[in-house]
Amino acid sequence: MSAAARRRLITPRQSQFCARVILWAMMAATLAVLVFIVLFVVKRGLAHVSWEFLTGAPSLSGKAGGVLPMIVGTLAVTALGVALATPLGVGTAIYLTEYTREGRITKIIRFGAECLAGVPSIIFGLFGFVFFVLVLGFGWSILAGGLTLAFMILPTVIRTSEEAIKSVPPSYREVALSLGASKWESIVKVVLPSAMPGILTGVILGVGRSISETAAVIFTSGSSLSKVIPTSLFDGTRTLAVHFYQLAREGISADKAYATATVLVLAILIINVTAYAIMSRFMKRYR
Amino acid sequence: MSNAHPKLDLCELTIRYGEGPAVARNISLGIARNSIHAFIGPAGSGKTSILRTINLLSIDVDGATVTGRVLLDGQNVLEATTNARAELRRKLGMAFATPQPLPRSIYENLVFGPRLAGVRGKAVLDGLVESSLRAAQLWDEVKDRLTHSALALSGGQQQRLCIARIIALEPEVILLDEPCSGLDPISTLKIEQMMQSLKSRFTWIIVTNNTKQAARVSDNTAFFLLGDLIENDTTDKLFTAPVDTRTADYIEGRFG
Repeated sequence: MSAAARRRLITPRQSQFCARVILWAMMAATLAVLVFIVLFVVKRGLAHVSWEFLTGAPSLSGKAGGVLPMIVGTLAVTALGVALATPLGVGTAIYLTEYTREGRITKIIRFGAECLAGVPSIIFGLFGFVFFVLVLGFGWSILAGGLTLAFMILPTVIRTSEEAIKSVPPSYREVALSLGASKWESIVKVVLPSAMPGILTGVILGVGRSISETAAVIFTSGSSLSKVIPTSLFDGTRTLAVHFYQLAREGISADKAYATATVLVLAILIINVTAYAIMSRFMKRYR
Repeated sequence: MSNAHPKLDLCELTIRYGEGPAVARNISLGIARNSIHAFIGPAGSGKTSILRTINLLSIDVDGATVTGRVLLDGQNVLEATTNARAELRRKLGMAFATPQPLPRSIYENLVFGPRLAGVRGKAVLDGLVESSLRAAQLWDEVKDRLTHSALALSGGQQQRLCIARIIALEPEVILLDEPCSGLDPISTLKIEQMMQSLKSRFTWIIVTNNTKQAARVSDNTAFFLLGDLIENDTTDKLFTAPVDTRTADYIEGRFG
């Protein structure tokens, strides 16, 4: 062993050990914070979540009653946003990866999408309010909220879909072409199925952002405390996140606020688990 | 050597990528019907580019510029419209240097091409799967696990699957781009035997870095060097009495 090697402060074995400890600690810290937040909310809220709470309409400004109109409104706004952003985002990603060569235009589009991703959601809310609510005259509505959310999550969907499509080995495309597929067939039948888990990750991130969004929807879907379930795209609605914000900010009811937050957290959990379950069934065919 | 009407006729073929120098220059070469034609030559000699130009992948995927003609039964492949290209590629099947099964079951790999071509009906597809796997001498090894992932097969089995997948399309010409470069000698032997047994059905072109393989398996051999066709003759003649000294040097292993 040379002198230089002997003078090292720590041996490779020690540095390996340190790395392992530090990385484990980081993972544990992240997980602990997550679990703490969820438990903090659920512990305070779960006791107040009852069947009546889930299926009832609010009364006394939310001090009593339930949150069914908010659940429906949240799901409607989120579903609309995701349903609009997914085809648009995946389509853009396909165009950027498969139909253009890297160049000035793709760089500009990508840069634009990244800037858009960094814009605070309240700016989207303001845009949605001016454009959809006032100019287009949709009023405070599920439609205006859904459209605003679609624009808000679009950059995320584009970027994640793009990365997912890029990570499909180029050889798959060649094989599909060599077996008599057109370019479009090779994308639909080979590239997209292989990219599906990555695309879904982007969509689920979008669902998470939409369902928990406050600023963008308070301006566009309003926060009127409706006792009836919204039935039209032009009905205004108060989403769960907005409802929580109002309950907590106005000091109406801490119990109801935590109960609302619990419903929100559980809803996100259920949606994610369901989405991944469907995906793993789908992906069984592509292994 | 080649009969009066070659199956495939390359005429003054020149291939280049972007502004770069031509990777294949003025290649004229006939491929006889129901023969095995080997393309040999060191790396960078243009043989893979020529192969990929025959089924237009070099143009559609790599963005190559091609001049000259590639005549399949007298029809110029290079003039095919975008819509005709899919149909053309079914006639000009191709297997790649690394086996490229698609991430799905063995069965789904085999019916991928036929389904795109519009073949329907379970009985028809089942029959196609069995006959192509038998032709590729893979049936006995995989008949009980057709629904299993093709990615779980060994390298040699995957390459035979890829060839079976081509056979399922009933092509006229099969292009093999160094099909055995990653395979062990036994898998290589199986593929060579398969090619011999299927010579009556297809016309084969095999690009290979292995001169011994070319000598074993092919009827005719073309030797390329730095984008030029140096010599093209029957395999017996080329390997026993090459005209060009560069050919002699290469097959005797003095370079490359």
